Amino acid sequence: MKVPFLVIGGGLSGLAAAIRFARFNPEVLLLEKHSRIGGLNSYFYRNNRIFETGLHAITNYADAGNRKAPLNRLLRQLKLSRDHFDIHQQICSEIVFRGAENLLFSNDFQLIRDEIASKFPHSSDGFGRLVTLLDSFDPFTIAPFRSARQFLLDILPDRLLVDMLLCPLMYYGSSIEDDMDLSQFTIMFRSIFQEGMFRPGGTIKSLLDRLLEHYRDLGGSIRTNAGVREILHDGRKVHGVVLTSGETITCGFILSTIGLDETLALLHRPPLSGDAIRLGFVETIYQLQASRCPTLPADRTIIFYNNGGSFHYRRPHQPVDFSSGVICLPTNFAELPATTTKEVRSTHLANYEQWLAIAADRQAYASLKRQTADRSRLVLEDIVGNFSQAIVFQDTFTPLTIERFTAKKEGAIYGNPQKIKDGDLGYDNLFLAGTDQGFLGIIGSMLSGVSMVNQHILNKF
Amino acid sequence: MTREDIKALILEIIHDIDDEADFDDLDPDKPLRDQLDLDSMDFLDIVMELRKRHQLQIPESDYPRLATLNSCADYLEPLLQDA
Repeated sequence: MKVPFLVIGGGLSGLAAAIRFARFNPEVLLLEKHSRIGGLNSYFYRNNRIFETGLHAITNYADAGNRKAPLNRLLRQLKLSRDHFDIHQQICSEIVFRGAENLLFSNDFQLIRDEIASKFPHSSDGFGRLVTLLDSFDPFTIAPFRSARQFLLDILPDRLLVDMLLCPLMYYGSSIEDDMDLSQFTIMFRSIFQEGMFRPGGTIKSLLDRLLEHYRDLGGSIRTNAGVREILHDGRKVHGVVLTSGETITCGFILSTIGLDETLALLHRPPLSGDAIRLGFVETIYQLQASRCPTLPADRTIIFYNNGGSFHYRRPHQPVDFSSGVICLPTNFAELPATTTKEVRSTHLANYEQWLAIAADRQAYASLKRQTADRSRLVLEDIVGNFSQAIVFQDTFTPLTIERFTAKKEGAIYGNPQKIKDGDLGYDNLFLAGTDQGFLGIIGSMLSGVSMVNQHILNKF
Repeated sequence: MTREDIKALILEIIHDIDDEADFDDLDPDKPLRDQLDLDSMDFLDIVMELRKRHQLQIPESDYPRLATLNSCADYLEPLLQDA
């Protein structure tokens, strides 16, 4: 088999890249190793119900008229309509540093400005300056690492506020410990605080189905259960892939969205990241009977919390660090139909090595998963009120679960600490897009796929 | 294609990119990008649509020649004379 353009990985960046190319040339093949597309944002069936694997919220909310907003640029580039996303905006989210302070934010940026003005009056002017500086900063110009934390500490006199601003942005996209690159911070600040969050009605499956239908309508091809074993190459030129089934597919160009080291492994090259620490996570989904948890807040969408005094975003020494995390209430988006069940989701930092070490003993692993779900619930109940009486089903993803289903090395959802921002891997006709190209979130990763196709692929045909 | 056909083609492509684009006060000698608020990604779509519809390979070094409606006509007229 021979195709002009091959995309490896059916996550959102690969899907967007394939759609972008197919708009002008249907001779594109998308390969996905699993039976379902979506990558980090996929779904599974349990307890006669569909569950989303990774989705809390989609960042980068924008009104239809705002042409320059990433969401609207993406829709134009892929010729999608807003209906494809079936947008439901967040109600209100909150950063809770227990015993210290809390800040509300929503899709109206003025809310967090007002919150900061009233709760951190000494930093109010500084925050205004920060916004002005970020407005004039171009995060897409490739530049060496610059510490966002230091940048914030230079502008804002309140250290607590610096931690509170970093907390959601780190949890929703930092692949490095206790800091972020200033460019990454700027992108995330815009996408979460200045633009905001939404989710599709229905589940992520409806969005994925609509994207796939659009891709097929344009003439693009897809194969699932098609893992790549090897990328065939000769010096700087790649000329095909061998699938795990043994089949060879020759091709003109390849865009890989499966990660930097994961791609290098297919070329029989050593990883580039060396010993850099990858951040793993655990996530628990609690499915609740809605009538039995009446006290669960209806006016909070996502809560980013920290219980531990100063905020640490780093690989814990124990399997899970419960001292901070994210609580997502997926039913609390505007105008969603009422349902008889609700969900609460929790995310915490985790230690991949420790989960790996215990996994050899199936019973101990299962027991640690249960303990994790129980402890996480207790931490959550302190913040959102009791819901244990309403639980009808719960499931926990460890870094090993995430690694197995998303093929992200060590279950590090935000990928390699080192990013290849220009997508250039040193080959004439193989490029990188997705998580390790450095754009994150659903809209960011889709734009990553689009921009890599624009820059490296379209002009070759 | 005549110059007028070419201008109509460009506007049709832009309308396809942004169906709310307003051509009423368009000055054919001023940059399309500024007047219609097109970004570099939108601009690439114009090039790609020309390639798809008329098999035109426009090298990146020639992109500046597509800046205004009149310069598009100047540049594309010889290339599309048989279209």
